[in-house]
This record gives sequence, C-alpha cells and structure tokens, in this order.
Amino acid sequence: MNFTLSWLREFVDFKRSAQELAQTLTMAGLEVESLLALPSRQEKHEDWVMAVAVTPNRGDCLGILGLAREVAALTGGHVRLPPVLPHAKGSGIDRLVDVEILSPDLCPRYSARMVLGVHVAAAPDWMKTRLEACGIRSINNVVDVTNYVMLETGQPLHAFDADRLATKRIVVREAGAIEKLTTLDGVERELAPGDLLICDGATPIALAGVMGGSESEVQWDTHGVLLESAHFHPACVRRAAKRLAIHSEASHRFERGVDPEGTLYALDRAAFLLVEVAGAAPVEGVVDRYPRRAKPASIVLREKKVSALLGVDLPRRETERILKALGMKVRGRSKAAVRVVPPSYRRDLAREADLIEEVARLYGYEKIPSTLPLVRPAGGGLDRRLPRERKLRAFLLGEGLTEMINLPFTSAEMNQRFRGLWGGERRPVAILNPLAQDKAELRLSLIPGLLENLRTNLAHKARSFHGFDFAKVFALDARGAAAEKQQLAGLFYGPRERTGLRSKDGTPPTFLEVKGIIEGIFEVLGIGPEPACSKSDIGAFLHPANAAVVRLGDRDVGYLGEIHPDFCEASGLEPFVVFELDFEGLAEYAPRQLTARPLPRFPCVERDLAVVVDDAFPAERIVRWIKGLNHALIEDVEVFDQYRGSPIPEGKKSLAYTISYRADDRTLTDSEVNQLHQQLAARIGGLFGAQLRM
Amino acid sequence: MRESLDTLRNEFLDRIGDGASEQEVERLRVEFLGRKGKLTLMFRGLKEVSPEERPGLGEALNDLRRFVEEKLESRLRELRQREKERSLKAETVDITLPGSRWERGRVHPLTLVMDEITDVFLAMGFEIARGPDIEDDYHNFEALNMPPDHPARDMQDTLFVSEARLLRTHTSPVQIRVMETRKPPLQVIAPGAVYRHDDDATHSPMFHQVEGFMVDSQIAFSDLKGVLTHFLRQIFRPETGVRFRPSFFPFTEPSAEIDIQCLLCDGKGMTQERQACRVCKGTGWLEILGAGMIDPEVFRFVGYDPDRVSGFAFGMGVERIAMLKYGIEDIRLFFQNDLRFLRQFA
Ligand SMILES: [Zn+2]
Repeated sequence: MNFTLSWLREFVDFKRSAQELAQTLTMAGLEVESLLALPSRQEKHEDWVMAVAVTPNRGDCLGILGLAREVAALTGGHVRLPPVLPHAKGSGIDRLVDVEILSPDLCPRYSARMVLGVHVAAAPDWMKTRLEACGIRSINNVVDVTNYVMLETGQPLHAFDADRLATKRIVVREAGAIEKLTTLDGVERELAPGDLLICDGATPIALAGVMGGSESEVQWDTHGVLLESAHFHPACVRRAAKRLAIHSEASHRFERGVDPEGTLYALDRAAFLLVEVAGAAPVEGVVDRYPRRAKPASIVLREKKVSALLGVDLPRRETERILKALGMKVRGRSKAAVRVVPPSYRRDLAREADLIEEVARLYGYEKIPSTLPLVRPAGGGLDRRLPRERKLRAFLLGEGLTEMINLPFTSAEMNQRFRGLWGGERRPVAILNPLAQDKAELRLSLIPGLLENLRTNLAHKARSFHGFDFAKVFALDARGAAAEKQQLAGLFYGPRERTGLRSKDGTPPTFLEVKGIIEGIFEVLGIGPEPACSKSDIGAFLHPANAAVVRLGDRDVGYLGEIHPDFCEASGLEPFVVFELDFEGLAEYAPRQLTARPLPRFPCVERDLAVVVDDAFPAERIVRWIKGLNHALIEDVEVFDQYRGSPIPEGKKSLAYTISYRADDRTLTDSEVNQLHQQLAARIGGLFGAQLRM
Repeated sequence: MRESLDTLRNEFLDRIGDGASEQEVERLRVEFLGRKGKLTLMFRGLKEVSPEERPGLGEALNDLRRFVEEKLESRLRELRQREKERSLKAETVDITLPGSRWERGRVHPLTLVMDEITDVFLAMGFEIARGPDIEDDYHNFEALNMPPDHPARDMQDTLFVSEARLLRTHTSPVQIRVMETRKPPLQVIAPGAVYRHDDDATHSPMFHQVEGFMVDSQIAFSDLKGVLTHFLRQIFRPETGVRFRPSFFPFTEPSAEIDIQCLLCDGKGMTQERQACRVCKGTGWLEILGAGMIDPEVFRFVGYDPDRVSGFAFGMGVERIAMLKYGIEDIRLFFQNDLRFLRQFA
C-alpha cells in the first residue's frame, strides 16, 4: 500500500518526521518498505510517498483511514474523517434502480448511490498527482473518484454508467453453467459456477469484487452514474480472481477483508467528490441491502494468559489502554479477565490469541524481556542419521570429491536414460506447473545433475571434476503413490589433482579405485555385511563390461561403472566412472557392534598361492571358498596380484593369493603350515580347474 | 737435529695453512709421512744420533708425527665437512615452489551453513526431525491454519505434483508431523529443501530452510526472544544487534520478523562514502528469521490443548544466511556448482 504523508495528515495529526513515522510503523508490524521524497512545487511543504507492506491479515490497512487509525493508536492522536455529502433521506434512487441479492452469503451487503449530470473529464491535477503517487493510473474524473475513495477508505467502489443499464434492476447472483463477460480490460472471460456476478436483470455486468464489465463502463458521454459500494465474501472473490488470473485493487482488498460497516461512508465521500470534481447532481436516497449483518465478536481476554504467553506481567490498565487505543470496546470486567468487542474494521480479531498479539504489538516487542527456557530432555532421542551423514561427507571430501547441490528438476528424456535404482515399475513424478518444459519431472537419479555439473566445469576449463551429490530422488509406484529416498552419487572425471606442480597429478580413477571408495563408504558407515559386486543390467548408459551392481546380502543397494564409450564419444569426453548408492537402504543396516580383539600372541605364517585360471574366472571365488572353510588355523586370505601375458597362455590369467596361517595357542611349525598349504592348494586346483604355479 | 725438527714443524704448518685442498693434504701426507717422507727420513736418521740423545729426540719425533697425523686428519675432516655442506647447499629444492598434496574435496557452502545452524540448536538441546519433500495440502497448509482460499497462500507460490500433493513450500509441515505423533515437551529443528514457483537472482525454485519449534507447558514469547537472540549471536557475531518486530504468519500468533544489524555497514545504513548501503538498502537491518508463538488453531489440529501447552516456532532460509555471511549476491551460484566458486569455501 502506497500513500503520501500529506494525504495521511488529512486524517490524523502526528508530530513525527517521515523517518520517525516509518520506524514507528515498522516496529508495529506495518513494515515500511520504502520512503521517497516527492518532488513538490511548493518547496516548504515536503511530501513523501511511503510504501507499507501490509500483511494479509490487515485488510483494514489497505486504506489511508486504516493507517490513520494505527498512527493514532501508536502516537496518541485522533482520527478525523474528510467531508462527505450525506445521502439525504428520500426515495429518489428507488425510482431509478432496484437491487436484489440472490446469494446473501457471498454478498452480505450491497449499497448504492446515484448521481446525475456528471461531466466526464480528466480529473483535477491534485487528484491525479495523488493517485499516481500511490501507483494508480488516472482514467477520468468519475473513475478516479472511485479509486481515490478506495485508497482513502479501503472500500472498493464501482461506477456503472446508469444509462447503459437496460433493466434498472441490479441482481447479485452466482454464475450459471455457460456465461461470459467482457471485462474492463477488453478480455472475454468464461465464468464458472461459484463466481459471483453483478447483473443488469439477467445480463452479467461485473464480476463481483474483481472487475467490472466493459458494457456498462463509464465513458466520455456518461451522464448518470450508479455507484456500487458492496461487501463480498473474501474466499469467493479470491477463487474467481485466482482462476481468471486477475489481480485487481478491488480483489486484493476484498480477499483480505473489508469493513462491512464502511459501505455508506464511502458512498457519501464519493458523492461529495463527484459533486466537486465532476459537477454531479446527487440523487436523493441510498439503496442499502444488508441481508447478512455480521455479529460483532465478543472475546474474553484472561490476564494470566497475556502474561504467560508473552513472558511479561502487564498491568491491566496498560492492557485496557492498548485495547481502547485500537478502537476496541471493553464490555465487561471480572477479577481475572475482560470481555472485549473489536471494531467492525478489524475482522482479523476473533480470538484471545489475536488480542494478545495486539497487546504485544502496541506494548512493543522490544520491551518484552529475553529469557532462556528450561529445556527438558525430549523423548525422541538424537538423530542417528546426522553423525553418519557427517562421517560420510568427511570421508568423501578426503577422497577428493566436492559436494554438489542440484535442483531436483529434470526432463522426461533424462529420466528415461537414467533410472537410478528404481526398479522397472516406478514412474517419474511430474510437476503439474513446471518452471520450464525441460524441468517438468523430478529426478529418478542423481547422475543427470552430476553430468550437468561436469559440463559446467569443463566449459570453464577445469582439468578434472570429482563431485558427489547427496540428496533425494523421487518416483511413483504402480498405484501412483510417491516415494522419495536419500541417495548418494559420485562422478570421477580426469585425474585426481594435486596442489603444486601439475606433473604430480594422479591418473583418472579406474573402476577398481572407485570400487575401493565404495568399500570405504561401507567401512565408514560401519555396515555389517560386506558389499559385493555382481554383473547385472543397470542401464544402457554404462559400459557393458566395466560396470557392476553393488549388493548387500540379497539386495541391490547401488551400482558403479564406466560411462558407456558411445556416450563419451558423442559428448567428446574421456572415459570416466560414476556410482550411485541408496543411502536410505544403507541406513536400515544398523552399524556393526564393535568389539576389540586382543593382539595375537603367536606369529603368523604367510604362504603365497598362484593359480592359472580362465580369464573370466572371478578372483573373489577362491577367497570366499577359503573363508567359507572357517578353518581354525587360517586367519585371512587376500588376492594380491593378477597377471596376463607370457608365459601364461592366451585366454588365461594368473592370480596370486596370500594365505595367513596362525594358531591361538602355539607357534605353527613350517612343516605343519606346508602340509596344510599343499592340501589347500590341491583342493583349489581340483575344485576350480586351476593350474597351480609354483 | 732439534732445530730441524722445529723447522719441519713450521714448514708443515705453513704448508697445511688454511687453504690446503684434499689433494694437497694427500701430497703433504706423502711428503712427510710417506716411505721417503721427511719425517720417515728423520726416523731413519735416528740411528746416526748419539744414544744419549736418541730417546729424547725419538719422543720429540713421535710427538711431531702424531701432531702431523692429527693435523692432516682434522684438516681432511674439515674439508669433507665443508664439501658436504657445499654439495648439500647445491642440491636443495627450490623452497619457493608450491607445496604438493592431494586436492581435498569441498563441502558445499550450504551444507557448511546448515551444519553451523544445526550445531547451535543441538548444543541447546534441540533434536532433529525430517519430513517428506512431497507433501499433502493438509500438512503444508491446512493444519498450519491456511485453509483453502486463504490469501496467505499467495505468499508461497506452490509447485504441484498432483491435485492433492505438492512440493512442500516450507519446512513447517514437519512441525505438524512431529506434534501429531508425539507429546510435549518438544524442542525440535527440521532442516531441509523447500520449493517455490520462483526463479531469479534472489529466488531459486529450490532452497533450504531450517524450521524449529519448542513446545512445553510454559513457553513464552520472551523465551522465543532469548533462544533466537542467542542463536543469531552464535551464527553471526556475539555483539550483533537483534530486533524483533510484529509480522504475520497464519500458524503463529503473535508473529515476529527478526532482523539483525546489517553486516556490511554495521547497522549504520550507509557506507563510509555516505552512500546508502546496498545490502540493507539503507535501513541498517537485515531480515533473517520469521517466528512466533504457535497459533492455538495449529495446536487444535494436532490435538494439543492450547490452554495447557504453549510454544514458539521459527523458520529461516539457509541460502539467505549463507549469502549474508559470505557476501554472495546471486542465489543461483549455489546451484551452478562451479568448482571455482565451491573451492572458495574451506
Ligand atoms: Zn547495510
């Protein structure tokens, strides 16, 4: 709400400077967003345009009168009303127009006055200047008067050209099934049931509280004017304005609540101004249909509740002073409470809490002390996820990955290519009102975001890019229910960089190096079962061979692999590796209970074992088999080398394992170990068709 | 012969001097101690000396030989030490070259700020709660006292995924979800992503909020002031000015908007050149938090009796705090993920 201070001074006297007033209003909840000096012709009267951000509960402050009431309450002043032309008693108007309200719930009150013989012309300069300073375009003196009075009182008015009304019968009703109205802006609008219409007989001439129709608009040849000053239901106005995407000064005010008791004052003020600036001759009498008179709220305010909620003991005298300054009537007192009736223009005050807010607001938030409450231990317990998330991040940073935060929106095309870890049943979640067509779905996978980050950074000549994203992905199941889960994805492009001389950079991480990082993640999270890699079809975007699913027990919890060479070629990229893990899935695994083992008392004997096997033989099989023996003297086994080439025949490879032997109760002898090792080697040779290399 | 001993000693000292090189030392060794060396010859000459003189002279000769040997040795040690020092100096690295280590990854600045915020509240005894990003109308609006057709819904332009479901426009629904399932006392924060139909230099369609609330039998507005003032002084500076002013949120009553003194101009509203400060637009204050006492209507929605419990709630934008803390002017920088930007944060 924009207004000039000179205009405000017509309603209330105050001694403060513009800046001081701005401060006072801001600290009372009417935030002054800007204060601009107005260039003025008479130099000694400096004027200012003040812009106040009126919160949606304070419809009463969308008029200067309402702001003047606030200023008076805050500074101890008195509000005075500008002159009006009272509607003389009489039935003149009844002979010219009749009003019938068919939907009284949506239109609790409809008042109207009529003037004749207007000379439609440009409004006088003083009026134009004020309107324009307040952001309203001047049209002609009649329309300008309605806007001027709306700015003053907050009551939207509408002026109909009385001669263009065919039936002289105003009917307020809901729209039927197929009705249309061309509004003032020249747009033909399709109306919907539930819209409230102002009709000339049966013909719609205005969309109530939103916008008038162009048919009955005041024009340069208009003589008679019917002034409408009505009260419409906020939600009804809002629905229509929202559906038709019309945001008018009138709809803005009706949505936020207008004083139902203010319709007649606004009419009389407008009549006064029409006589003054348009030479109008008022018709005696007024039409005032008021089928739904709102009962004023009557609220009990308990003294104890005020001090308990605010944390400050206010004397009752102070509380009552504030309530009265805000126009409230104290209707009853008991030892512990007062009964209060708020004024009709404060439709936001209906409950005790509303009154407590008003007391606090006028008392001043800055005068309420600061205290620290007693925190009682909550029953919920600490979040288990936070420490895990922090460990995970710290680990990844140490591995050289930088954290990305991406918007979750992506295109249907990306979601088709990168389905993440959702099975085949899941569909992407679509946004009904997306910001752009290529952002119309929520991501199934974090990979598209990381690819975008890769592109951004390569475009800026980054030498390499190692990034991770730890965020939610979304999908719909077959029944259309939405699911979301926290996921972790990483992308390794180019060598891991070192600071200092460039020759010290590493090499681009390989599949096995990224697998190592995934193993590290499981280790850091302390997840019990060890992850295993297995071949599975993940998606066409991955390399057909150098890719694997990460399994935990019998569940797929992620994947890793090189991006398909075709994709790299098409985008001019070097080969690179990505991974994606379902953190939500991992979080279900309770961290392993750690029990420290004492240091061994007897030495360990290591023996190597080299076998020649088919190229496709998975090295891990022998490890698993040996571990599966659970032999008391075998402590550990690990693969330490893989070799292809001469003298190993084509299509074969050599694998080398180290087996650690140890007993708990003695030092093993060489012959004992040798015998055990040879037996083991022979069994492996037989079981896996492996040729032993000695 | 004694005289020639002295002469020889002097000659040796002269020759070994200060500047003798390793070769010269070798040469001296041969010249004095070699098979045909001067001292060797003198030892041989002892035979010709009278038996009375022989022992004394022999001893003097031995002394001289020891002296020469020691001198030669120490000179040699000295020379080798000097040579080692010289060569060490010659082989040292260029100490002005940059150090070298593996490049660390960086945590995103929003995570950095989110962690700071979280830690202040954890230290005060708050716990963390989370909720879904895809919300229903009930939790996002209705139970927060924003019925359909409430104009406050205009403050939050919503992205819908179906008629009944939407991307949460704030983290406040977590408040409802926690209260629905638990009883006071509660002191909870709910960090997370939120979404709006908005896209420019100061608005992103996704951003992050931290919602917090405290509910117990006797929580007052003064507690809200105390907790949030403490929080802001932890996150910004201990002497940061904090101001509470009335505002409106449908789910709190009374409601407050909380400002801190501008970090750029220290609350003066203008720069040293007497220009209006561009960060606070000349007001000296920066809006940083929305808060209030939880509206009795909200308590009714979750089945609490507003006459028996009270509480406060607050919400803040993580991006906004990060922008103010680090002087970032375009919110989109957070989501472009340019390493040149991200690597500025330790
Ligand atoms: Zn500033």
